[in-house]
Amino acid sequence: MQSDTPSAPESGAATAASRGDALASEEAILLDAVLKKDRKATAEFVSRYADPVYGYVSQRLAPRADLVEDLVQEVFLVALQKLDTFAGKSSVLGWLLGIARHKVEDLYRARLREPESFSAVEDTSNSDPVTLPEFDELIDSARAQEKTQRILALLPEVYGLALLWRYWEDHSTKEMAAQTGKTEKAMERLLARARAHFKRLWENEEP
Amino acid sequence: MNDERFFTILAAITDAMQGTAERAPARLKSRLYSALVSEQAASGPLLSLPATKAAGRPLCVFENLLQVMPVGERVTSMNPCRVCHARVLAEHIESPPIYWPHCPYVAFRRPVKLDGSL
Repeated sequence: MQSDTPSAPESGAATAASRGDALASEEAILLDAVLKKDRKATAEFVSRYADPVYGYVSQRLAPRADLVEDLVQEVFLVALQKLDTFAGKSSVLGWLLGIARHKVEDLYRARLREPESFSAVEDTSNSDPVTLPEFDELIDSARAQEKTQRILALLPEVYGLALLWRYWEDHSTKEMAAQTGKTEKAMERLLARARAHFKRLWENEEP
Repeated sequence: MNDERFFTILAAITDAMQGTAERAPARLKSRLYSALVSEQAASGPLLSLPATKAAGRPLCVFENLLQVMPVGERVTSMNPCRVCHARVLAEHIESPPIYWPHCPYVAFRRPVKLDGSL
């Protein structure tokens, strides 16, 4: 008997495509049920997506664990409000991570926009010179990761967020200044103080 | 090495290592679920319990009880979890003692390993 299924060379791609379609249709069914306010579907929605969203937000805000949970909750509440506008052009997870990315940016912006954020922390940039950490120290990346997390946790919040936003989120000083309504010079001064404080702690911390 | 270079390298090294995503705490998932359902309920009735069951989603013992009682759809569209002790426990404990099946909060519970750790 003849079959309608594609022959062997095409079947890998076809299977992958149909698996993708099946996943998309499974997601569409779940979202539809959430929109119908099916509480069990809402539970499944949380079960399915909370881990990756939490992972993403933790990474972006590490080590500010105190900020992570509230932000993840905001992401899910925004997603629920906008669920009916989700067009399905990306995966649900991609869409949620997009919302999370915006929320993280909003948080950086809001925290660095606060008037006291530029003046409340002690200015240590002009005190004793600090030698720059050696490149060799960075080669052991596992240790560097651990030490970085420890130091970021010790920094005043505004310094930690400024450094994360500038170097880990890769935003220019100009962009940061524009988004917080500060001058570029003021932002550069804040970053200089943050870097000096970080380096001082880096020197004094155990490896 | 100047400041910019140091921080750029440090960010690249540590960022590359952040591939191992953590699991969300069960408490957080419970709070997320409660917040979402409460938000849904605020804008109108939830899908009734009989309709939820008909859609192939099993109900917990309390929800089952509510849906067989001679009460109207208004009541079966409410959220009984709001007044359930399981919700309170799940929002505060990583592995709450909830021993009946199909409680939404059970799905979020972090499994306890054989040595008793979480």
